[in-house]
Amino acid sequence: MGLLPDEAKVLPPPGIVNRNSVWFGLCGWATAMLHNSLNRRPALKAGLHRQALFITVGWFIGYHLTKFENYKYATLDRDMSEYIRLHPEEFPDKGNSTWKSSRIRVLISVLRFSLY
Amino acid sequence: SPYGSLLSSLLFSLLLVFSRNSFIASKPDPSKPNMLRVGLAFGSTAVLWALLFKQHRTDVHEYKTRNGLE
Repeated sequence: MGLLPDEAKVLPPPGIVNRNSVWFGLCGWATAMLHNSLNRRPALKAGLHRQALFITVGWFIGYHLTKFENYKYATLDRDMSEYIRLHPEEFPDKGNSTWKSSRIRVLISVLRFSLY
Repeated sequence: SPYGSLLSSLLFSLLLVFSRNSFIASKPDPSKPNMLRVGLAFGSTAVLWALLFKQHRTDVHEYKTRNGLE
């Protein structure tokens, strides 16, 4: 695995049909259709080999991207759980959460969002 | 030299592919597809799907082994 360390293999792998594969496959198909249109060919009926190749390339990239994304989210979750485990005083069972713990949760959700 | 004619034919074919010289240029003809390119495109499509399914199989097997599920 190029981008992922060995520990990522513990995570459940995404299915062949996964969110990034579908999206990148559709984008590849749109690219092929745009290529047809810009060369004054019928968008859907021409260049089927090109459409198939672009969809496949998108699907392939999407699968590996989903794996990478799952690993990144898993590491963030692990770090958050570890922080909560080491600082139980900031996460009382009852009552309002402390300012510091809510700040940590916001920081981690911002970090997750920044992956996009 | 023995490689002179090979080099010149290579250069000529490159010139055909990469030039728009109106003396030798021609419009791409959709009724005569470049079957080599079509074959390569479909071939690499098949290769990529095979690689994807193989990788997925390996990933599922690794996951099951490492979590003691099989």
